Amino acid sequence: MKVLFVEDEPVLLEEMETYFSSHDCICEQAVTFVQAEQKLRDYTYDVVVLDITLPDGSGIDLIEDIRKSHLETGILILSAKDSLQDKLNGLNLGADDYLTKPFYLEELNARVNAIYRRKTLKGVEQITFDDFTMHPSSKSFFFKESEVSLTRKEYDMLIYFVINKNRVVSKASIVEHLWGDHFDQSDNFDTVYVHMKNLRKKLCNISGKDYIKTVYGMGYKFTY
Amino acid sequence: MRLLSKISYYHFWLSAVVLGITGCMLFLFLRNEISKEIQKQLELQTDMVAQEIHMGRTVNFPLINITKGSDSLMKLPKIFKDTMIYDRLQKVTEGYYYFSESKKINSQHYRIMVMTTYIGWDNYSKSIIYIFLSIAGLLIVLGTLVNYFISRRIWKPFLINLKRIKAYSVSSKEELQLTLTDVTEFKELNNVLIDLAARDKREYNALKEFTENASHEIQTPLSILKTRLESISQQPLTVDIARLLNDAKQATIRLSKVNKGLLLLAKLENNAFTDVQWVSIEAVLKRNFDLVEDLFQHKRLHVEKHIQSKVVFASQFLMEILISNLLTNALSYTPSGARIIFSLSEQLLVISNEGEPLSFPESKLFTRFGKGATDNKGNGLGLSIAKQICTLNKWQLSYSYEKHMHHFSIHF
Repeated sequence: MKVLFVEDEPVLLEEMETYFSSHDCICEQAVTFVQAEQKLRDYTYDVVVLDITLPDGSGIDLIEDIRKSHLETGILILSAKDSLQDKLNGLNLGADDYLTKPFYLEELNARVNAIYRRKTLKGVEQITFDDFTMHPSSKSFFFKESEVSLTRKEYDMLIYFVINKNRVVSKASIVEHLWGDHFDQSDNFDTVYVHMKNLRKKLCNISGKDYIKTVYGMGYKFTY
Repeated sequence: MRLLSKISYYHFWLSAVVLGITGCMLFLFLRNEISKEIQKQLELQTDMVAQEIHMGRTVNFPLINITKGSDSLMKLPKIFKDTMIYDRLQKVTEGYYYFSESKKINSQHYRIMVMTTYIGWDNYSKSIIYIFLSIAGLLIVLGTLVNYFISRRIWKPFLINLKRIKAYSVSSKEELQLTLTDVTEFKELNNVLIDLAARDKREYNALKEFTENASHEIQTPLSILKTRLESISQQPLTVDIARLLNDAKQATIRLSKVNKGLLLLAKLENNAFTDVQWVSIEAVLKRNFDLVEDLFQHKRLHVEKHIQSKVVFASQFLMEILISNLLTNALSYTPSGARIIFSLSEQLLVISNEGEPLSFPESKLFTRFGKGATDNKGNGLGLSIAKQICTLNKWQLSYSYEKHMHHFSIHF
């Protein structure tokens, strides 16, 4: 997957690039509007992660350009403003998703992957690890040929883990992913634990392998 | 009190006082004049009686009394006074004027007294009062009518402008448009209002810009903090450092929530939500409940639902926030294993949950950070945001505690 990050904050840019590169992405960056314009003219990307507030322009204005020349490119707006109007404008102009700062890299990764699957792979892609196969479009999950039943939350959690494999994923980030912005409270850490335990048990019973490690005090890490 | 009523009120009292005074004056002047006339008439009559006596004719007339006497009569003064005489026909005692004068006619001394009636003063005063009362009534009725038509004409632009100002919001994109008028005071008022609106709009925009900039300036460092802390989490850590790191992470989460909440409140107060449409509350409730059903199950909460369909014309975005805030509140403050009831009807949405009574004054429930920072649940803004959303939609969000249950009700 080839991703362009348009962001003027060097630390965020570095974090995003380091993380996405470690997940087999080809990353490019642009720190200004002009630079982004140029890169979008010269190359084609699978997904563009677009900060709205740039020193020399608004990211919103880039959306139309991208849509004109590259219909397949997924666009994710990254904004610090959390303004409904920006969000509506962006989505109307053809952006695929909207994420408000501050965000979790894991969440960004999950969203970028979802856009990539939907746009570039037209929803036919499957996510595989060992003998397991996930079909995100139909929300089904198989071990070899036989279907494994997961609850909706377990399914969402598993995708989140697989997409963010080999990374310590914090409970807070899982809470935000499973229940959205409004319900993420430390109260819900227990429920995360219950879902994780059930998921781990199901995977372990079928394959005999423990995929999910608890990292003391930090969260969970999915490895295969 | 409306301006028209106020003017009529003062008008009434003014008319009453003026008419009262002029009425009394009229009555007194009239009586004085008539008394003088009567006195003149009686003097003439006395003179004519004296003339008759002088000619040697006997005067015999009911209301004339002639007394013959010595010259001591001449010492008595002229008298003009009133007296009472019984009227046989009308069977009432009536007031009369009499005039007495002593005269020396043909070397004889006479005392002549003539009388005449008062001509019904009572009736005069009654007539005057009636006439003046009707003048007062006419003045008030006609005055009010004239005022009404004048106000329809002159006040019309003012009333139209008043309506426009009421409907005007600094957050709207349109400028304030006022109807023209030819009244100088109203013209001045219009100019002042237009200036004021323009200034408010400028300040509002500056504030909005500031809020957004502040948010941007805070959110970006927060993003850096958050991602850096997550990156540190990837390193092998000792238990002690893991604890410190966790506290720092929790604090950044709280800070970002408070920041987002305050921003949302600022926008709500400025009524910055324009995505109004028909929204099914039932659907929003169901969607949000489905999302967190596992959280309810995990706390072993007994959920009862009495849901009817209900649509409102409001911002979809705000409805999601309203419902999720109320759900979060119920979820956080209901003890494990207790009961929660959702009921939705055409007029009312009630979310009730079992629990101990509030440990703080009820008045602080909907204020920002009202409950104090004694627990870590929520960011202290959820209910205040819910209240603000309801206010914006002109709904009533109220709280009550009955039969060991907290009830949050929205009257649509």
